[in-house]
Amino acid sequence: MLQFSKFVAIRAFLAIFTLVLVSFIVFSLMELVPGDCAERYVAFKSSQGTVITMADIQVERVRLGLDRPYLERWGKWIFNAFQGEYGDSCILRLNISQLLGQKFWLSLGLCLSALLLAYAIAIPVGILAATSKNAFLNNSLRLVSYLGLALPNFLLALMIMLFSTVYFGDSLTGLFSKQFRDAPWSYDKVLDFLGHAWLPIFILGWSATAFAIQTVRALMSDEIGKLYVTAAEARGVSGAKLLMRYPARHALSPIVNSLGFDLNRIFNELPIVALILTLTEAGSLLIDALARSNDQQLAGAIIFMLTAAIVAINFVTDIILALTDPRVRRGIVG
Amino acid sequence: MSVMTNQLSAEEQKLKEAYFTASQGQLIWQRFKKNKSALIGAWVLILLIFSGVFAPFLTPYDPTISGRDKEYLNGAPQIPSFCDDNGCSLRPFIYSFERTRSIKTNFRWVTTISTDLEARRYVQFFTTGVKYTYLKFEINLPGKALDFTIPGFTFDTHLFGVDKDYIHIFGTDSTGKDIYSRTLTAINTSLAVGTIGVFIAFVMALAIGGVAGYYGGLLDSVLQMITDTVKTIPSIPLFMALAAFIPDEWSAEARFLFISMVLGLIGWPTLARRVRTHLLTERNQEYILAAQLSGASAGHIIRKHLLPSFTSYIIVDLVISFPYMVLSETALSFIGLGLKDPVNSLGVMLQNVTSADVLLNYQWYFIPVFFFIALVLAFVFVGDGLRDAADPYGGHN
Repeated sequence: MLQFSKFVAIRAFLAIFTLVLVSFIVFSLMELVPGDCAERYVAFKSSQGTVITMADIQVERVRLGLDRPYLERWGKWIFNAFQGEYGDSCILRLNISQLLGQKFWLSLGLCLSALLLAYAIAIPVGILAATSKNAFLNNSLRLVSYLGLALPNFLLALMIMLFSTVYFGDSLTGLFSKQFRDAPWSYDKVLDFLGHAWLPIFILGWSATAFAIQTVRALMSDEIGKLYVTAAEARGVSGAKLLMRYPARHALSPIVNSLGFDLNRIFNELPIVALILTLTEAGSLLIDALARSNDQQLAGAIIFMLTAAIVAINFVTDIILALTDPRVRRGIVG
Repeated sequence: MSVMTNQLSAEEQKLKEAYFTASQGQLIWQRFKKNKSALIGAWVLILLIFSGVFAPFLTPYDPTISGRDKEYLNGAPQIPSFCDDNGCSLRPFIYSFERTRSIKTNFRWVTTISTDLEARRYVQFFTTGVKYTYLKFEINLPGKALDFTIPGFTFDTHLFGVDKDYIHIFGTDSTGKDIYSRTLTAINTSLAVGTIGVFIAFVMALAIGGVAGYYGGLLDSVLQMITDTVKTIPSIPLFMALAAFIPDEWSAEARFLFISMVLGLIGWPTLARRVRTHLLTERNQEYILAAQLSGASAGHIIRKHLLPSFTSYIIVDLVISFPYMVLSETALSFIGLGLKDPVNSLGVMLQNVTSADVLLNYQWYFIPVFFFIALVLAFVFVGDGLRDAADPYGGHN
């Protein structure tokens, strides 16, 4: 028990340290963008007809605390960020956490569903591929996984849109029907959402599934030839029971570990897929923030939140792995 | 009889000898040749690289706005044929057309093809067209006297064209630019972006992974932590954040260089990790200890002993990471943060295809996608084939 809590403490420390490092990178990037908030606010006033001077900008800077040293401002930003408070976007002049709120959780939900879908397909198919000697099955799986790489999600989304427009006359875009877009959550809205969400989830999960099948298959093939499997077989265990109880348990534990990076891969594609499928509720805010308005506060907040979600997943999977596999905890505590 | 067996065994002996004295490169090539899909991939790759490099010759028109066909905006692909109702011709031809727009056609351009014998446009080979230059360098150093230009070689021959007006075998886009010419140029751009990106990522990975792996200990832990952190941040949002710094007034060429560098600067962690892992296992080998005892410096050991031990792995990793660079660039350009006109890339070409008009009426905008899937697949197949071939323990089953 002591060993376990030590393990959790070390992992938690590492996770927080990673986040601090990420926040430093993100904050530095935000600072590098030309023009700061004070200039933007004052520029806005100027567009409203007020005559402004350099002194006004300086006053605004002092008011916003932009005259403080770099490290102090970073410290303040990260302190607030850990409490889920990212200040205001100086382009939209809105509170960022309010702006992101539901959209972020919706995006995270989409990505996690995609991840779930990927493994729900990959684990049985991967195990089957590793155990089966069927050349046709193996070759077609290989082709699918190559396509998963060669046809990245956004090209797949484009192609699906092309075909659905040509053959069904509907481009299958958006996350909600018109009448539900601003309505409060209700049973009907959830149904409507599910009716729209399956396509983005499928598209987001596409590459991840292809990769996951490859991984499961490779890990399973490694385990299946080992002596303990033969020993179990000799004791009379066979069929699915043999697979699930012996090699699959070992083969699947490294996968738990890589879930964070799979989520990373899915997040990667989210903004672009969201742009193509016009999911205004998810992801495309980042593109707006970067491509259209150069809104560094918003962009920084989004990147930080995405990374925080990945770090959190990594932390949770590490704990799960340690709970199920004592070798892992001993490995890190020493 | 016995002579024959002797001869056979002598031949076998020779083969065996060849196997044992073969260099690592020869062994890898032997194994690579046996892999059918990798070989096909290699041929496709060579073909695509060739068509990218010689794009100016293989395409009839300038891919930028100056090569536009004003008469044929959003035009469908024109497929040359040999025969029609008016008889056959040995020389393939396409039809001329008339475009009209009036209240009768709801103010949309409507193309009427004239199938007259006189209106045929015959395909010509080795036509003279827009000039292009290879190996031209302009060096602008401060001071007039230091400027110099290597003129390079200028050509104006193109593989094919038509005797009058234009031919567009993949159709044209909304400004009348030839999609075929743009596609081949885009392959060229993608290869260039990938090469620069992979090179930068490679140098950084070698430096960071090399230091971490060779020295180990605390330095290794710190560098590993930084590498892992960079890996945690989703790369495309990070690309987007970095690409958003590019001021609008930068020229298309400067953007191109910057984007390639950004791709490299973010792509290094995976490679660095591989280099590190390899060095960590190799540095405890006896031959390294021997070199250290003989008084060789760290730099000497890394360059002369450690690097040659895994050059083949590095080459494989480079080939495998190439398509990721190409795809990232495409994604970035697609959302408008990467390359911009007049530089051509797949992403630039796909920028406006999500509109319903294009999806419903102008599907030939999507032709370049297939070339890029082929390019990426070819890289993946060759990379996988090389990885299997470079693994000395993998080739026996």
